[in-house]
Amino acid sequence: MKKHALRDWGPRLAVLAVAVALWEYFLSRSQNFLLPTFSHIATGLFHLIFFEPRFWEALYISNQALIFGYATAVMIGVPLGLIAARLPWMDRFLNPYFAVLLVMPVAPLIPIVIIALGLGLAARVFIVVSFALVFITINTRAGVRSIEPTLIEMAKSFGAKETQIWRRIIVPGALPAIFAGLRIGLGRAITGMVMVELLLVASGLGRLLLEFSGRMQSDMVFATVLAVIIEALALLSAMQFLERKIAPWAPNISIG
Amino acid sequence: MIRVKNLTKEFGSMDNGGGGVLALSSIDFEVRDNEFVTVIGPSGCGKTTLLRIIAGLISYQHGEVSIDSHPVVGPGPERAVVFQNFALLPWTDVLGNVTFGLDVRGATKNDSQAKAKELIKLVGLEGFERRLPKELSGGMQQRVGLARALAVNPRILLMDEPFGALDEQTRRLLQEQLLQLWERERKTVVFITHSMEEAVMLGDRVMLMTPRPGKVKEMIAIPLKRPRPPDIEKSAAFIEIKEYLWENLRAMQTDQP
Amino acid sequence: MKSVTASETVVKTTAARNIGSSPGLQRSVRNYALEVFALLAGAVIWESLGWSLGLQWLPPFSQVLVALVQFLASGLILSNLQSSLLSLIVGFALSLVFGLFLGALMGRYRVVEKAFDVYVHALFVCPSILFAPIFFAIFGLSDASRIAIIFVYSTFVIVINTATAIRTVEPSLVEMAYSFGCREHQIFTRILLPASLPLVFAGIRLGMGRAVKGMINGEMLIAFVGLGALAQKYGAQFDAAKVFAIAMVVLIIGLVSNAFVQALESRLTRWAD
Repeated sequence: MKKHALRDWGPRLAVLAVAVALWEYFLSRSQNFLLPTFSHIATGLFHLIFFEPRFWEALYISNQALIFGYATAVMIGVPLGLIAARLPWMDRFLNPYFAVLLVMPVAPLIPIVIIALGLGLAARVFIVVSFALVFITINTRAGVRSIEPTLIEMAKSFGAKETQIWRRIIVPGALPAIFAGLRIGLGRAITGMVMVELLLVASGLGRLLLEFSGRMQSDMVFATVLAVIIEALALLSAMQFLERKIAPWAPNISIG
Repeated sequence: MIRVKNLTKEFGSMDNGGGGVLALSSIDFEVRDNEFVTVIGPSGCGKTTLLRIIAGLISYQHGEVSIDSHPVVGPGPERAVVFQNFALLPWTDVLGNVTFGLDVRGATKNDSQAKAKELIKLVGLEGFERRLPKELSGGMQQRVGLARALAVNPRILLMDEPFGALDEQTRRLLQEQLLQLWERERKTVVFITHSMEEAVMLGDRVMLMTPRPGKVKEMIAIPLKRPRPPDIEKSAAFIEIKEYLWENLRAMQTDQP
Repeated sequence: MKSVTASETVVKTTAARNIGSSPGLQRSVRNYALEVFALLAGAVIWESLGWSLGLQWLPPFSQVLVALVQFLASGLILSNLQSSLLSLIVGFALSLVFGLFLGALMGRYRVVEKAFDVYVHALFVCPSILFAPIFFAIFGLSDASRIAIIFVYSTFVIVINTATAIRTVEPSLVEMAYSFGCREHQIFTRILLPASLPLVFAGIRLGMGRAVKGMINGEMLIAFVGLGALAQKYGAQFDAAKVFAIAMVVLIIGLVSNAFVQALESRLTRWAD
C-alpha cells in the first residue's frame, strides 16, 4: 500500500517541479522586477507568520466575519433546504429564486449592502451570508430530494411518524449532499469575506493585501494570498474529515 | 480450432510477487471448428475471464491460447463478441450499431449498410433501423448485438452470458432464434451461461468448470439430435444431463467456504 | 491533506435545469405558471417595499427597470458591455481549451490523473478571487489580468467534470469497441467523445456561470473599465437603482449564455435520458 502512495507522489512532484521551473523562467524574461521568486515568496510567508503581528490581527478580524457569517448561513440554509424539499408548494415557489441566485453574482451588490449597513462587521457578515446561503440551501434540498421515495414508503409501511422519518431516513440520507453544500458554502463564504474587504471595507486581510499592493511589495502580496489559500484548504480539509466521520457512506454529488 | 493449453491467469499480482487472485489454473481444452461449446460453472469460477482471454481482451501469465495455431495476442477479425449487457452505443441508431464493427475496419458506407440491413432482417428487427437503443426492449437490444457480431463475418462467436440480463420468456425466444441462425451457418461458438437448461439445450458439448481458481472439471458431450426440437427439454436424455450438471454444481457450491 | 480524487466531486446541474420538471404537459405548464407567478409576486413586493420604506438602498423595482432601460438606450451599457464581454469570451475560450484537454487526459490516463488531481482539486475548492491580487501584481491594470481571473474561475470545474465524464464512460462500451478492433484514437472519437458529452456539457455550463462571476468579481476588484467598474462608480454615488440594474444585466448575460449552451446540449445529446 505504501508503495502505491509513493508512486502517486512521483508524478505529482514532477508537475510541481515543472510549474516552479516555468515560473522562474517566466520571471527571468519578465520586465517586472517586483515579481518574487519562489524563495522570496517562501521567506515572505515565513516572515508573515512569525514576525508580523498585524497578520494575525488581520486574520482575527477577517475570520470574525467568516465565522459569524458562515454559522448564520448554515443555521438558515440547512433548515430552509430541508423544509423546501418537503413542502412541494414552497419548493416550487422558491425554485426560480434559487435558479436566479445560482447564476447571479453577489459582488456588484456589495456597494448596496454597504449603503444599508455601513462599514462595520454587520455588513461583512451579511455579505458572507449572502455568498454562502444559496449553495447550502440548494444542496440540502437536492440531498433530501435524492432520497429514494421507496425508503420513505417502507418506513410508513412500518408505521413510522413524520418525526421518525425525518430522524431515521431523511436526515441521514441527505447528509452527504448537505455536507457537500457545507463545503461549497464554506468556499463561498471565504470568497465573500475576501471580496468585501478588498472592495470597500479596508479591514482585516483585505486591508493588509491592499497595503502590500500599494507599497509594491509583491512578495508579501503573494505570501498573504498563499496564507489565505492555506487557511481555506485547511478549513475545507477539516470539513471533509468531519464528513468522513459523520457520514462515511456515500460519495459526493454537489451543485455549484 | 481454438486450443487452450495449460492456461493460468492471475489478477492483481504486482512485481513484488504475492497478493494476486488466481482466477484460472492450468486450463486445458479444445474447441473444434463449427462446434457449439457451452461453458458453465459456479459464480466466480472465471468463465467470463476465460472468454475475454480468448477474445484477446485481457492478457494471461502462463500457457498457450491459439486459434488455428496462431497465438492470441489481441482481438482479431475471425472472432466477435456478444456482451451480457449488450454494449450498444446509446447515441447511434440500430443501423449504426450494427455497422459499427464494419465501420471500424474501414468498410464503405454502402457495403456496411447493405450488410447490416440484411442481418437486421435476419434477426427479425426489420423496420427498426432508425430506432435508438433506448427505444428497444432488452431482447431487441441483444438481437442488435448479435447482428453486429455477425456483420463482421467471424468464424468464431464468443458469447458472454448473452441472455443473462433478459427475462425468461425473452430468453427462450432468443435461444430458439440463436439455434435457428446457427443451423444456417455453423460457426464455432463458445457460450458462457449460468443456466443448466441453456447449457444443455444449446451445446454440442458442455464445459464444466470448478470454483476459483477455475479449472476444467469435465467436458460433457451432448448426444441430443440437431436441430434441437422445441420439446427437447422433456426428453429423458436432456433431463439426465441436466441433473448430472446440477449434482456437480451443487457439490461445488457446498464446498465453498 | 489527504488527496481526494476529483471523481468525488461530480457536479450535476440538476437545480438550474430541472425547474419543476414533471411528467405530463398540463402539469408542466401549471408548474411554469407557478414559477412566473412567484417571480411576479417578488417584483410586486419589491415595488411596494421600495415605495413604502423609502430606503436609500432599496429603490422600487420600477426605478431599477427605468435605470436598466436608460442604460440600454444610452449606449453606456453597450460600450462597457463590449469590453467586459470580450474578456469574458477570450477567458472562457482559453479555459475551455485547457479544461477540456486536461480533463480528457486526466479521465483517460490514470498517471495524468494522479499527477494533477491534488492541484486541480485544491484550485477548484479554494476561492478563486484570491488570485486577483496575484494577477494584478503580475499583469497590472490590463486585460490580461481580467482574462487570467476569468480563466482561474472557470477552468477547474470544466477539468473535473470532463475527467469524470470520460472516466465514467461504461467500460463495456470501450471493451466492445476494442473487441471489434478499434485503435486508441478510434476509441477516443467513436466512444469516449460521444459518451462523455452530457457530463462534459454540464461542466461547460457551470464553467460559463463561473466565468461570468469571474468577470464581474475581477472587474470590481481591479478597477477596470467594464460593468464591474460601473457598479463601483454608482455604488460610490449611492445610486442603488443603477447598481441593481447592472446586476440585472450581468444576470441576463448569465441566463442567456446558459440557455444557449443548454439548447446546444439538447440538440447534441438527444439520445441520453
